[in-house]
Amino acid sequence: MTHRSVEVPVVARVEGEGALHVRIDDGEITRLELEIYEPPRFFESFLRGRHFSEVSDIVPRICGICPVAYQMSAIHGLERLFAVEVPAGTYELRRLLYCAEWIESHMLHVHLLAAPDFLGFESAIEMAQNGFKPQVERGLRLKRIGNDLMAAIGGREIHPVSPMVGGFSRAATKRELRAFEGRLEDALAEILDVADFVAPLEMPAFPRDAELVSMVNHIDYPMNAGDMASTRGRAWTAETYEQVTEEIHVAHSNALHSVFADTQAPYFVGPLARYNLNEATLTPVAREAAARAGLTTVPNLDPFASMAARVAETALAFEEALRLIRAYEPPDPPHVEVTPRAGRATWTTEAPRGTLYHRYDVDDEGTITEAKIVPPTSQNLRHMEHDLREFLPGVLDRSDEDLTLVAEQIVRNYDPCISCATHFLRLDIERG
Amino acid sequence: MSARVRVIGCGNPEAGDDAVGLLAVGLARRRLPPEVEVVRAGASLRVLDLLDDVDAVVIADAVRTPAGAREPGTIVRAIGDGDGLPAELRNSLSSHGLGLAEAVGLAAVMGPLPRVTFVGVEAADLTAGHGLSPAVATALPALVDAIVLEVAAMAEAPA
Repeated sequence: MTHRSVEVPVVARVEGEGALHVRIDDGEITRLELEIYEPPRFFESFLRGRHFSEVSDIVPRICGICPVAYQMSAIHGLERLFAVEVPAGTYELRRLLYCAEWIESHMLHVHLLAAPDFLGFESAIEMAQNGFKPQVERGLRLKRIGNDLMAAIGGREIHPVSPMVGGFSRAATKRELRAFEGRLEDALAEILDVADFVAPLEMPAFPRDAELVSMVNHIDYPMNAGDMASTRGRAWTAETYEQVTEEIHVAHSNALHSVFADTQAPYFVGPLARYNLNEATLTPVAREAAARAGLTTVPNLDPFASMAARVAETALAFEEALRLIRAYEPPDPPHVEVTPRAGRATWTTEAPRGTLYHRYDVDDEGTITEAKIVPPTSQNLRHMEHDLREFLPGVLDRSDEDLTLVAEQIVRNYDPCISCATHFLRLDIERG
Repeated sequence: MSARVRVIGCGNPEAGDDAVGLLAVGLARRRLPPEVEVVRAGASLRVLDLLDDVDAVVIADAVRTPAGAREPGTIVRAIGDGDGLPAELRNSLSSHGLGLAEAVGLAAVMGPLPRVTFVGVEAADLTAGHGLSPAVATALPALVDAIVLEVAAMAEAPA
């Protein structure tokens, strides 16, 4: 019997190393386990006993790249439970902050994490040293608009400090935001060049069926608000999230895996899911960027189309940011007083990597008694394994090196919110 | 005119010793000249956007050597060259995308770097929800001193 096993430690840093284990016997995969460390689990217990007003300072620390998403799911949920009427303009400023996070996160992924893969470079540094400096420069320039916008709204701190339950501790001035108009106008032209850059990148062909999940919002492309939907016609809301989906323990991983409760089947969240379910609300430049990057049909279930979806969503975020800034009136007062009430707060928002669900049980003094956070990466974990199981059998004759690269590409394509999206995979293959 | 200096703290405030760089720059702030900008940057990736418009930067962060080669609490200092920071600082405690050395290395490829000095502390415990470990808490004042000294040295150097 021939035996081969592939070991890919995915996260070789900090606590909780993640890994991909593949075992191949007689040309068949007999074991495939993706192990990924998930910080939110620690935070759930850490939030118990805290006052609701502390939550918006604690949850963004779960993630250095998507702090806004964590703040927004928490703040919106608690505000709905407490029946807070936020000042006019608050929703718009929050959407602008969310645009900033999408810009930063998507441009980071496309240029620094994914592009080197498909161009055959070890890293963005190597890519820049070998003829692609202008493209990396452009990516960093576009990404920086997101960072700077986030700093203008949220303060130049570890994470945005101004969003709070009840509004913002400080609302950006018109002048501060108007300063971005010129850069955003330029970015709308440049993002189409990015679409032209990603279109010819050679990606594995991987047509496969899948159920994609995202928020839907028939008014605008969903970020802060909307209900849930899937590409196979399911529809639900934040209130029923934990009935429709279920987190299951798997022996090989500390992480929980998300499945649909009724079928126990995996699902897939993220930019491609949003694109498929919200194509109708794409803004004009986003639509052009999608087409030029190669996304022309709906549905498009090829996971590698996610890169094009990220480019289209970045274009959308630039357009939305420009629209919101031109119409901006600072919320006055920036925030209102909040009176807590006991109950259950639930909310979803669309983090750059997909739907982020929060639930808080609160007592009548506003103390958190229970918290649940279901991040996009953990929802996608089972689907990543599913993709690897579907794809790898067709390429088992390749070298260990090639097999690792393709496994990395498949995992990285989900832009998992952990270091496995970087080029640190170590391959450890057992072939019998 | 003296050199423009920026002090950058990296790390996660809620992950044990990973908070040390942020705490140190916060404490150093009151001992630094007012014209020195102090930024608590969090993810080391953010350093990419903090390397222009200045002559010199001092970066503080927690580090962890593989296989416990260094005692927890040990102060580590590294000077960047034209290519960035020493490779040893690759995979420094970033949980996101790019480590500090990668971020500085990428900036070096894109354009001239300011002078970059790194000061760090060998971490012992990086568990979410924990405070500083005793060894790192003991080292914190020395890290603050190191930041203040590096800034003074840089401010005196010709821009």
